Amino acid sequence: MEIAFFIMALIILVSGIGVIVSHNPIHSALWLVANLLTVAGLFANLDAHFLAVAQMIVYAGAIMVLVLFVLMLLNLKTERPSSASVMAKVVAAGFGIAFLWMIVPLLNRSFEVFEGPAVGVQGTVKEIGKLLYTKHIFPFEFASILIMAAIVGAVMLSKKKYRQ
Amino acid sequence: MVPVSYYLTLSAIMFTVGVVGVVVRRNSIVVFMCIELMLNAVNLSFVALSHYLGNLNGQIAVFFVMVVAAAEAAVGLAIIISMFRAMKSVETSNADQLNG
Amino acid sequence: MEFLILLIKVFVVFNAIMGLASICTWVERKGSALIQDRVGANRAGAYFETDILLLKPVFWVIRWAGMLGIINTLLCDAVKALTKEDFVPEGTSQFMHCLAPFLAVLPVFLAFAVLPLAPDFEVFGYQIRPQLASLNVGILFVFAMGSIAVYGVALAGWTGNNKFSLMGGLRASAQMISYELAMGITMVSVIVMYGTLDLYEMVAVQGNQWGIVYSPMAWLSFIILFVVGMAETKRGPFDLPESESELVAGYFTEYSGMKFLIFWLGEFAEIALFSAILVLLFFGGWNVPFLSLPDNHWLTALIGHAVLMGKILFFCVLQIVIRWTLPRFRYDQLMNLGWKILLPLSMVNLLIVAALKVF
Repeated sequence: MEIAFFIMALIILVSGIGVIVSHNPIHSALWLVANLLTVAGLFANLDAHFLAVAQMIVYAGAIMVLVLFVLMLLNLKTERPSSASVMAKVVAAGFGIAFLWMIVPLLNRSFEVFEGPAVGVQGTVKEIGKLLYTKHIFPFEFASILIMAAIVGAVMLSKKKYRQ
Repeated sequence: MVPVSYYLTLSAIMFTVGVVGVVVRRNSIVVFMCIELMLNAVNLSFVALSHYLGNLNGQIAVFFVMVVAAAEAAVGLAIIISMFRAMKSVETSNADQLNG
Repeated sequence: MEFLILLIKVFVVFNAIMGLASICTWVERKGSALIQDRVGANRAGAYFETDILLLKPVFWVIRWAGMLGIINTLLCDAVKALTKEDFVPEGTSQFMHCLAPFLAVLPVFLAFAVLPLAPDFEVFGYQIRPQLASLNVGILFVFAMGSIAVYGVALAGWTGNNKFSLMGGLRASAQMISYELAMGITMVSVIVMYGTLDLYEMVAVQGNQWGIVYSPMAWLSFIILFVVGMAETKRGPFDLPESESELVAGYFTEYSGMKFLIFWLGEFAEIALFSAILVLLFFGGWNVPFLSLPDNHWLTALIGHAVLMGKILFFCVLQIVIRWTLPRFRYDQLMNLGWKILLPLSMVNLLIVAALKVF
């Protein structure tokens, strides 16, 4: 199954770069959707079945639809080509490459001792449900309060101020 | 099987792409999308390590990261809409005054 | 050999989808005509004759098919759509305009991968399960595909580059997202009822006793899922986004020819998808009430498949008849139904089903 990982990794890289390079914000949003769906595929490859489907439902199916709605309603034209000066882009890319240069060998070296997957724990709905409702019940309940706060906040922020 | 460092390298590259995007782009919504890219990279790293260590707590962490990302998406886009109403543009370089 | 079995399964599932969608197209055309007290399409192929004696039965069949409108719907519409001019509105991205129909249709076809189409059977020593992908999160995958189907509609509305398309597209996407909530919670209550997520296991658990009498509150889940299914496919009384007299054609406006036909086909495939889900969850799938056939035999699988297709066709015809009978909702009535009536109802349903399961 290695070929599946390499194809998906290639799609993830290409779409990630597509997000930051596209001039039209709607193209960026579509590249990001492709990225999220492929990452869901990688989750399924790693036996995290519930998370793969949750990623498709929550990220690609709800958050990105919200972003697309906002983009379509605001009706933005293409960003002017002078988004940042060329020097800024080169410096940013340079810092990125320097960061990767330092981090990647560190990651490779510190995880050499693990020789491959253990007898994989299947991330099915049953297993994750068992954990969520016993060991992590407090963050789970708190997450619902967080979402309610977000809903109230979003509604409050986007109401128009009524004129007197 | 693919060694775990491949997944971690992919996650690091995606994170860096997200950071470069946040720094370079000036459209607020594209900046927001690059933040989502960074969160995604971290999710991938969590799940890969959870698989290789045989522990499900990593996947629970990803669940909560997704919840927080959804909440942040709602509030962040509401803020962007308010910004657009006030300044008629979503460029970050236009939002340079308090009480503007 | 496993790969060959998989290819055959793909072929069978694809044919099932296309067959169901085509039959639905024909039923829509001729059935709507009969409901509206007119004759409908009956010209193409109705006058074929031949003098060759051996071919006379064949031409008799073609004449009857023509009189019933089958040749008109299945053959002539396709040829007409293929030969129309294919234009792209200027001012928008050509790529996105051509991508939108596929994004609307792909999730529907993918969702058919987790539907079992017949009971298990064994042939030539191979145990075959007629389900293309036995995921252990089966029904959640259908839900995920329903979430992704919003993109095709939103993009189609946006790339039309005019206000009618945009309004239709945004209304359609908002409608689909609103009804997904009720669908999700109702699916959770169905999962609680059966104790499993895999669709094959759900049908196997039902046995000869159909799902709708399996639990006292299953009828409420059925009603909610039926209404939500009609709202998700933008059919029936919920077809304001494509309202044919108000918004020109809503988000379809700028599409002509084959791309329109792809949207149309996707819509009928989605009708078939929701009918299939309703049948598998609530009406026993391939089980016939008072008939118990030997397990694991290929003839049982064939009969089961035919029974399943018959039940799916019944629900497809039901949805088509409802579409041509009821007037459409106003948009605020539609949103009211989705958020204020169906969502609390599905939550109450979940509580009751969970309570019944525990006690």
